[in-house]
Amino acid sequence: MSTQAVLSRGRGFAIGRIGTFVLLIAATGLTLGPVIWTVITALTPSDAVTHTTSFGFAAFADVFAKIPVWLYIWNSVLVTLLIAVGQMLSAAMAGYVFARYEFRAKKLLFGMILATMMVPLQVIIVPVFMLVRGMGVADTLLALIIPALPTAFGTFLMRQYFMGLPAELGEAAQIDGSGPWRTFFRIYLPLATPGLAIVGILAFNYHWNEFFRPLILTISEQNFTLPLGLVTLQGNLGTGSVSTVLAGVVISMIPALIVFIFGQKPLREGLTAGSGK
Amino acid sequence: MSITTPTAAPTTAAITAPGAAAGASKRGGGRALIAVFLAPTVIGLGLFSFIPIIASVVLAFFRWDIITAPQFVGLDNFVRAATNPTIRVSFLNTIGFVIVAVALQLAVALLLAVLVQSKMPTWLRAFFRSTLFFPLILSAASVSLVMAYLFNQEFGLVNQFLGLLGIGKVGWLTTGIGAKTVVLLVYVWQNFGFTFLLFLGGLAAVPQEVYEASSIDGATGWAQFRQITLPLISPTMLVATVMAIINALQIFDQPYVLTRGGPGDETRTAVMVIYESAFRQLDFGGASAIGIVLTLLIMLVTGIQFQLSKRFVFYG
Amino acid sequence: MVDISRRMMLGALGLGIVGTAISWPRLTGMDIPGRGSDALTVALLGTAQDAAARQSLVDGFQRKHPDIPVRIVAIQGTDWGDYFAKILTMVAAGTSPDVVTVATEGAQLFASRMAHPLDDYVRRDAAEMKDYFDDVHPSLVEAFLYQGSLFQLPDNFNAANVYYSTKAMDRAGLERPSDHWTVDDFFGVAQAMKKSGQSPFLPYFWNNRLWGGVVPWLYINDTSILTEEKAAGGDWFWKQFYPDEKPRGGGYLWQNADALNERTIESFEVLQRMVSEGLAANPAQGGGNELVALFSRGSVGMTPAGGFWVKGLADAGFANDDYDVSFFPKMRSQRHQFGAAGYAIMETSHRKDEAWEWLKYCVSVEGMRTAHPQPDSSLTRRSLNDELYGAGVGPAHWKVFYDTLDKFPTTGPIPAPPQQAAIEQALIKNVVGTITNGRSGVRAGLETMQRDLELALKGR
Repeated sequence: MSTQAVLSRGRGFAIGRIGTFVLLIAATGLTLGPVIWTVITALTPSDAVTHTTSFGFAAFADVFAKIPVWLYIWNSVLVTLLIAVGQMLSAAMAGYVFARYEFRAKKLLFGMILATMMVPLQVIIVPVFMLVRGMGVADTLLALIIPALPTAFGTFLMRQYFMGLPAELGEAAQIDGSGPWRTFFRIYLPLATPGLAIVGILAFNYHWNEFFRPLILTISEQNFTLPLGLVTLQGNLGTGSVSTVLAGVVISMIPALIVFIFGQKPLREGLTAGSGK
Repeated sequence: MSITTPTAAPTTAAITAPGAAAGASKRGGGRALIAVFLAPTVIGLGLFSFIPIIASVVLAFFRWDIITAPQFVGLDNFVRAATNPTIRVSFLNTIGFVIVAVALQLAVALLLAVLVQSKMPTWLRAFFRSTLFFPLILSAASVSLVMAYLFNQEFGLVNQFLGLLGIGKVGWLTTGIGAKTVVLLVYVWQNFGFTFLLFLGGLAAVPQEVYEASSIDGATGWAQFRQITLPLISPTMLVATVMAIINALQIFDQPYVLTRGGPGDETRTAVMVIYESAFRQLDFGGASAIGIVLTLLIMLVTGIQFQLSKRFVFYG
Repeated sequence: MVDISRRMMLGALGLGIVGTAISWPRLTGMDIPGRGSDALTVALLGTAQDAAARQSLVDGFQRKHPDIPVRIVAIQGTDWGDYFAKILTMVAAGTSPDVVTVATEGAQLFASRMAHPLDDYVRRDAAEMKDYFDDVHPSLVEAFLYQGSLFQLPDNFNAANVYYSTKAMDRAGLERPSDHWTVDDFFGVAQAMKKSGQSPFLPYFWNNRLWGGVVPWLYINDTSILTEEKAAGGDWFWKQFYPDEKPRGGGYLWQNADALNERTIESFEVLQRMVSEGLAANPAQGGGNELVALFSRGSVGMTPAGGFWVKGLADAGFANDDYDVSFFPKMRSQRHQFGAAGYAIMETSHRKDEAWEWLKYCVSVEGMRTAHPQPDSSLTRRSLNDELYGAGVGPAHWKVFYDTLDKFPTTGPIPAPPQQAAIEQALIKNVVGTITNGRSGVRAGLETMQRDLELALKGR
């Protein structure tokens, strides 16, 4: 690899292989350390009856006893998946247009889209709730999903991505008689999978873990997402057991981890394709 | 099919190297496509971002506590924001934080990306890549909760560990410097993964031949890095920096959970005062005014970056 | 490669559409029972009790009032601030609840703007309410009078008492402190604990917040950070329901900042001394969950807490003979502070009569029992605390919880004017600076606090 050349060849580059590994392992340790501590604490709850600390899944059982975990997970899954898929589609479509077409006011429109990224959520959340209510979807999961379907950030990413694909492909297809729709669906979209994967994974992570939007936009308990539901574990005036609270955190980590593991392959393809590895 | 063997295969690097080929085709069918494809995003953002933003801008000139009717107050909210010491400090904190956090985030991400690309077995590289990306999948609030436990002055693991090394108990969350440091570390810890990913893509796109050619000319590691790698990944740098700055300017979760802005106002950020003005002081007009100022600041900083990019970013 | 991708994508899209169709009831909330129906909407804090206890409460109410459907809205705020944020949003969007749980922190805010006075209802149903008022200490109810009207019926409360680890006490060779121990005695206990403690150990751990932070130390010195007066009016209430008491006026008034009076400075100096001698925690630390773990591990000697802690400690595996409770020490007086909570009826409600029925049910013996099956708060009904904490559930001296009100009749609520949120912020912000900058830093810190408190009170 190119940078490998930098490191293994250059005598002036003082790090060397041992230094590289030391740094990487230190970084990994710092990165995983707090996570491991969380998992260990969740696995060593105190027993209310015998007053001892033991290793086991009692804290996890406690979480399931206190809150309807499966319902909350189901809500979170529905909301996050639909948002992720929706964002992938809307970003791909809009990004494609910005990358490959010219039209009046294109720069202005793109600028306005980017500008929406620069306004904090806290400023607009109350009007959004009023809009959602006006649409008649207040107190439903749709209230969380619909406002999150368009994505300025995703559009930006996909635009960059499509701009990196050669125009020759589209021109060749044109010559072959393919209309603009076909060009998109048959040629460019399939090639954009790694970009889509990134948009999807980032959207999933962000919305799986978010707290403030669901707090404000949902009302009935049955519509809570997992981060909202976990608050109950903190107990009246903060007296819930630490192990139980952290067990809840670990539980909410697992689906994100699963998506992360399955998302590694398309991510990797996006990162390594074209590098001659 | 021959389509999969073009010279420039799609890569994440493509995200960061624009200007390659923005093919412009303008045909009848194209018009329909443009309209349909833009509709979800434009209508969606128009409805759920723009309208609320306009509402907010208008509200900034009123005094509204939700319960009683809004009263027009002209520029009063802006004047109050400018003269309120807490708000001034919060903006200064935010700006200072952004400078340090983004610099640290970029440096760490770049260093690790370079290290991860060096020669090692594939599985090991995959392992490092995955674990370094890990903090991104966790929620900011949970992370801050855990970190608050770890950095507790009396009982937290961090001070216990330092104690083993013979260092006295550090007032992590109880002193201004300590609290700022913890918020900074937690934020960078959580967010560097994304920048790291961007750099991995950018570095992967630099062709081997360029290094080989320069080696023949006698260039060594560090010089190669400075004169070849850096310029060639400058598009990536731009995207990474822009995203990191926009994000950092809006930091909220970490200081809110860790310190609630304390001690004093040392870790209070711009978005925190917006939230507090709105929901604690029941001053939605004031909160909107602060929000507008922050947004203008973000736009200004982003604009400056794009201007600078014309001089510093090299598109290959 | 390309064909497979496209097929896969179409397949995924198809699956997505089918999946969405199947989940449609969940997505649109059609599967939520009682949705959209014209039910009495009750908002409460999601952490107050778990879903099962909530459901029992609703069931109990429906048995008595089968013609009043109830819908509970649990708000998952992590603190009262988040809770109010949600209530405000609901009000803004026109989906305001009918009944809202409000704690002392928000009582005057709601009373001054959003709550409906209960005077007419209480007078109308006076006979029914007599049993309640006879069982509840007048100080608790006084906290919910505002400008001469009653706005809430408190159902649970927590006074700040001193919890101590019996192990730490024994290790230090000490006996349980006497009921009227002084601040000097307190220092003695703390120092002895520190000497005999095993690192890491703190004699006194406390959290920096309005309830149970610096306020207990201010109240025992007969002072506060705000001036305290009583509003006019309220005689109608006192004469009818507490005829043996002298009328206490129309509710508290906290209208001016008062951080610079000598007694307040004195209290802060005590705290500064505690922290500088290593006897007390530097207060800018983390929250409740952590404290329970620390206390139960024996890392902390004493800490301020209320009845709500009994459950938390039990859950953390702490046996109830490993700790005990005592009053706060005496300074100029031994005035304690408490926080309480109860339901309020929203002015915007169209179902005020039904809402009043809910309030009455919740403060009845049956209602209170159902809502609080666990010892996670002290109950305002004196008689019910026995079954909650007695018989080995609570610590040996659990009677301290209610005795705080009886033995120290000037005990009052934490200072909570309508601008409570801003006041709390002004206080918390400045505590660390005030008590960690040496003895001479106390006055300087309090000057900044005074300035911030004045600013906070200016906002309506």
